[in-house]
Amino acid sequence: MGTPGVAVTGLARAAFSAFRVSIRLRVISPWAYLNWLVFPVLFAAVGLYVLSSPGAASSHVVYGVLGGGLIGYWSVAYLEGGNGIQEERWNGTLEQIFATPTPLWVILLGKICGGLLFGLLAFLPTAAFAYVGFHAVLPALDGGRFVISLGVLTLSFFCIALTLTPLFALWRWAFSMLNGFELGVYVLCGFMFPVAVLAPWAQGVAGFLAPTWAVRALYASTLAEGPHNFATWWLATIGLSLAYLAGAYFLYALVERRARMSGQLALA
Amino acid sequence: MKRLALEAGVFGRSTYLQYVALFQWANPQGYVAYKVLLPVTQILFFVELGVYATGRQNALYFALGNALQLTANAGIFGVIATVANERQYGTLPILLASPANRLITFLSRAVVNVIDGIATVVIGLAIVVVIYGLNLQHANLLLLALCVVVISLTTAGLGLMFGSIGLVMRDAIIIANIVYYVLLIICGINFPVSRLPGAVQVLAYALPLTRGVQAARDAAAGASLGQVGGLLAGELLVGLMWALGGYLLFRLLENWARRGGLQEAF
Amino acid sequence: MTTNPAIEARQLRKTYTTTRGVFRRERVERAALRGVDLKIAKGELFGLLGPNGAGKTTMVKIFTTLLLPASGTALVLGLDAVKDQWALRKRIGFVFGGERGLYWRLSGLDNLRYFADLYRVPPEVSRRRIPELLERLDLAGREKDRVELYSRGMKQRLHLARGLLNDPEVLFLDEPTIGLDPVGARELRVIVRELADAGKTVFLTTHYMFEADAICDRLAVIRDGVIVAEGTPSSIKTLVHDQGIVEFEVVGMPVERLAGLRSLPGVRSVAISEHELAQVVTVHCARPADVMTRLGVILDGIKLEKVSSREPTLEDAYVQLIGENPTNSEASP
Ligand SMILES: Nc1ncnc2c1ncn2[C@@H]1O[C@H](COP(=O)(O)OP(=O)(O)OP(=O)(O)O)[C@@H](O)[C@H]1O
Ligand SMILES: [Mg+2]
Repeated sequence: MGTPGVAVTGLARAAFSAFRVSIRLRVISPWAYLNWLVFPVLFAAVGLYVLSSPGAASSHVVYGVLGGGLIGYWSVAYLEGGNGIQEERWNGTLEQIFATPTPLWVILLGKICGGLLFGLLAFLPTAAFAYVGFHAVLPALDGGRFVISLGVLTLSFFCIALTLTPLFALWRWAFSMLNGFELGVYVLCGFMFPVAVLAPWAQGVAGFLAPTWAVRALYASTLAEGPHNFATWWLATIGLSLAYLAGAYFLYALVERRARMSGQLALA
Repeated sequence: MKRLALEAGVFGRSTYLQYVALFQWANPQGYVAYKVLLPVTQILFFVELGVYATGRQNALYFALGNALQLTANAGIFGVIATVANERQYGTLPILLASPANRLITFLSRAVVNVIDGIATVVIGLAIVVVIYGLNLQHANLLLLALCVVVISLTTAGLGLMFGSIGLVMRDAIIIANIVYYVLLIICGINFPVSRLPGAVQVLAYALPLTRGVQAARDAAAGASLGQVGGLLAGELLVGLMWALGGYLLFRLLENWARRGGLQEAF
Repeated sequence: MTTNPAIEARQLRKTYTTTRGVFRRERVERAALRGVDLKIAKGELFGLLGPNGAGKTTMVKIFTTLLLPASGTALVLGLDAVKDQWALRKRIGFVFGGERGLYWRLSGLDNLRYFADLYRVPPEVSRRRIPELLERLDLAGREKDRVELYSRGMKQRLHLARGLLNDPEVLFLDEPTIGLDPVGARELRVIVRELADAGKTVFLTTHYMFEADAICDRLAVIRDGVIVAEGTPSSIKTLVHDQGIVEFEVVGMPVERLAGLRSLPGVRSVAISEHELAQVVTVHCARPADVMTRLGVILDGIKLEKVSSREPTLEDAYVQLIGENPTNSEASP
């Protein structure tokens, strides 16, 4: 048996390989373009029109500049989680990757990173659209805090995708549910308008969602006024994300065990 | 008489397939997700967005518009699913080989979806009444109902066009997805059409929903049939235009297939 | 050490539990393996034969760590397929027949590189090994094409290349020649034989008797989750050695006429198979000469053609072991 160092480089290489394959498959899939290019721009368009309605406060428009990108980023991230295993099953490759000496979560980790990188692209067309169509920019952008907030948000998306994957593999119907509820997630995470406009109970629910806090920090980093409790918001997102990961750990063990009991890896 | 039985048979079979498409989700959770959760969250998202931008007093403007736009969900995706089923069950060649009236065969694809569309809007409006207290005291309810029926017909007309495109393009569902959201933007659902650039306004008036939603808003405010009759007639005409376009494309593809050009499609 | 078997099963059992029905959920238990004992020596090319649903794939999946047995032990290279899965996975390879299981939109080369990394083959090794495998499996020159453009045989060879990426000591092949044309199937058989000759242990399942006869060192026949025979191809044939075979062709004979044949003393089984124009009747019996002399009497008025008696083949032994209706493994023995 090799040294731990060799083992870790081997795992890292496997994860990176999965990352590369996930990017390659995405580059040639029309659906991927729909999710990071077309839908985000369409949402940005509605958002920008509504947010710049006569009488609306001018500061609202940042939600139009970033909202479409956030929606696109999230869609790609959760679809990756939802389809990560199902896609391999359709290909008939699930058994093949499952039987390799690389744990499933390492492979999925690579695939999810590929998805997130694609998801980040969603900010480009939406911001460009906002600038060209509405001359909307981020007036008081605090670059450092913005980048950190985006990084923290990315961490939360990553943890959520990693958690959703085994969850959806175990309970397929949960994926349809989340699909049906997609716009509800946009509401609760405050992607296009602040959670503060919601009823108190809904704000309570939103507080348990890791992205909510990072999104709040992200918007705060573009606005001059308002409270700026960045450290608290970032920690809230990080804490919740790690809690999700702990749950994911058990879900993966359950998936591995169930798959090997029932032999259902091959089923379409 | 025999002829009539034949038409009825084709009509029945097609209606059955639409029914199958409608309930293709193998489990009740799927139905809940796409027929209840999706409409509710769509309405919630746009109403709350509108409230944030323009104030609570405008909630009903957004609520009503989005509830009505839900017909497009049934009209467009329903018809595409029907065509996909015809393909999967291999019934299309049978329909084409039968001497049944082409127009009836074609139009029959939309029947269940129109009814489903009406049902979806009723669900949507019920949600709006419960959550946002939509007050219909002054509304012309009969006229509003008429508007809902008309909009369901016209969005299904647009759906028929996509049904025909779906015969040649396997990824027609992608285009349908895009069109669904385009309707949400440009048809006066969430902001007046007048705010759009001129060229886009022209497109908006060439699509279903734009006039119908306007008429429905007026009806909800108590307008009479005389006041919105023009809008409704225009809406019907637009829907008919799309359905006719879809039918012509369907016949074109059929002839093309007969000459052996389109083996795969049918 | 040298006597350690490469693959060993001890009292291996597997039961699948499935649920049926949407509203009234009903649990159905299905025994796929009912106490299998098996030992396969290092370097052996071992064939597992059996009708559909007999449990062949189930066995392969247990050995390849994809499936947990209900009870019993599965050892490969002395490692427990349940407990030592991570160590074991590095040292074995497997290939399931059929076209699925590859990324069709990627090139063959990309597929191999990806799986080499997942198998944690060091890059300096895979840089050398992948071209070798491509060459050996006759894919060189096409490796940059997308897999969806490959023929079925090429996809199957790519599968085999994938299974060999980690230079496994034991290779599991589940119906590797399924759906291949005769030439492609033969090419694959030659490669598999060469692998075994080079010292790899190969565990192969197949439905083709001549395939098993041609390349396997040793065979087992599984029926309904139980091994019913085990040995070299020729020793399995001796199971039916005391039997002669009489075979003849007829055209359009009513099946009832065979009843007379069945009741003859010494006749063990009468099988009938449809060929293009004629039916071929195979009679397994103790004394072929006796049957030959009585044929004319029993099948009076029917034109018999190509009457012959012959030595048993592996297929005859198989039919004898599985019963006259080999597809019906559900019937209990
Ligand atoms: N995932 C599963 N869930 C439930 N039952 C299964 C599953 N996989 C196999 N079975 C059942 O177990 C039995 C053995 O199946 P197995 O696939 O091992 O047979 P096989 O010998 O490989 O057959 P074939 O020659 O058709 O490939 C069959 O009765 C089959 O129906
Ligand atoms: Mg099998």
